[in-house]
Amino acid sequence: MLPAIAPGDWLLVDPTTRRWPRRGSIVVFREPSTEELAVKRVAGRPGDTVPFADGFLRLADDEAWLLSDAPEADAAAAGYGPPVDSRRYGPVPVELLVGRIWFRYAPLSRLGLVR
Amino acid sequence: MSRLTAWLAPKTVVRAHCDLPCGVYDPEQARIEAESTYKIIEKMGGNADPAFTTRAIHIKEERADLVKHHLDVLWHDYFKPEHLDKVPNLHELFWNATKQVSKVKASTDLADAQKLLEMIDEIDAAWKATGGPEKTRVAGRPG
Repeated sequence: MLPAIAPGDWLLVDPTTRRWPRRGSIVVFREPSTEELAVKRVAGRPGDTVPFADGFLRLADDEAWLLSDAPEADAAAAGYGPPVDSRRYGPVPVELLVGRIWFRYAPLSRLGLVR
Repeated sequence: MSRLTAWLAPKTVVRAHCDLPCGVYDPEQARIEAESTYKIIEKMGGNADPAFTTRAIHIKEERADLVKHHLDVLWHDYFKPEHLDKVPNLHELFWNATKQVSKVKASTDLADAQKLLEMIDEIDAAWKATGGPEKTRVAGRPG
């Protein structure tokens, strides 16, 4: 999720979020199927239409489309495979949402709101 | 770390998940497990002992699941959209082969297991046609 979030950042999460925050927000959620805590950016909200496979997909009332910031080519250049996000596991239901990341309190040089 | 920083430090770690695949793929893995299902069906034909049959069925299920797993990994991770130019029926190959695995699970007919082996060989040909052996295996094995 560079440059928005770097490995080792200390972040504050707003856990009171009960609905998908606006597009562009970075959220913590449990990955479908693996249940692992992950961070991604909200790219689509309930009711949005998102590109999927060769067509489009309309998100249901409780679903969001969550994407990595890294373009696939950058991830590959860094020695990683394709980012694991909604393109892999599809829309994410709101019950898997843990909270919205809003503030970084360390390292101090990068203190501030997370965008 | 001072007590203050220890107190301030986050207690939960979240990941921005990327795969780090090893990049080694070979349909041989699926073929070996499929050969197991073939041999098990063969052995079941020559032994009517109920305890043996129970074990054989159990192991056949297990091996068949491994075939599916190895095929899925090839399908999802090795093959890329650009390979469709060389192997236009790629998706059909995998769909049919994984369906055939389900058939082998429920079957005690050697012909079903044989058909699965042939389908895996077709996938093997697709893997070879797309440069799989050179791209995904580590060179230098003794012939």
